[in-house]
Amino acid sequence: MNNLLTRLPTELEVEEKLRLHIDLLQRENIKRGMSPEEARSASLKRFGNVDRVKNECVEICRRSRPLQRAFKVCLILLTLIGLIVRIVGTDRHVAHIGVTLIAIAVAGRLLLYVRSLTPSRFIQSNKPTSLSLQ
Amino acid sequence: MQGTLELLILKTLERESLHGYGIVQRIHETVEDLLKVEDGSLYPALYRMQERGWIKSEWGVSENNRRARFYTLTRAGQKQLERERANWERVSKAISRILQTA
Repeated sequence: MNNLLTRLPTELEVEEKLRLHIDLLQRENIKRGMSPEEARSASLKRFGNVDRVKNECVEICRRSRPLQRAFKVCLILLTLIGLIVRIVGTDRHVAHIGVTLIAIAVAGRLLLYVRSLTPSRFIQSNKPTSLSLQ
Repeated sequence: MQGTLELLILKTLERESLHGYGIVQRIHETVEDLLKVEDGSLYPALYRMQERGWIKSEWGVSENNRRARFYTLTRAGQKQLERERANWERVSKAISRILQTA
């Protein structure tokens, strides 16, 4: 649960970037006459240690966003408090408060996720790609 | 050498916005076989540079129609490039002198 609440968007974004890079390298190698398997292997070799690079990037990301990190911790605490209130609270109104706290935490998490997508995700860039793979 | 990759990235982004793969390709095209740049080493450097405010990024579309982060030099990045360039010239001049006299 902690993994889902705090790590997913950053890791996904880093993975997406690295995957794209390796795929483009593979594409270039195929154009040079390699078989898909050879091209993949050569791409991974040229890229280096994918896991190490990914972990390093994720770590830098986390370090550089202390406020976001603090907000995520608050959301986790809010979820836990909500769960405790919901379980312990015998009164119906108290139980509702617990559910509301959980709902706020989920909404906050969704907000963070949507922000991580960035508004331009679904907008095509006006800039022409300056790379051509011939 | 410490800071060399950052200098290469800053210089590459001075002319145009590029995604990670594009930056590496430009560097490889320019240096040919004179320097070996491991592709993976680029990404931590990009994150560090973004953290320092030297570059910014926005989503765009790559040549294989997938979304990609395109990196652009910021004003702070431009200043950093000037600093790094001056530093590089100073260091290389110093090393050249030592090599000539030794």
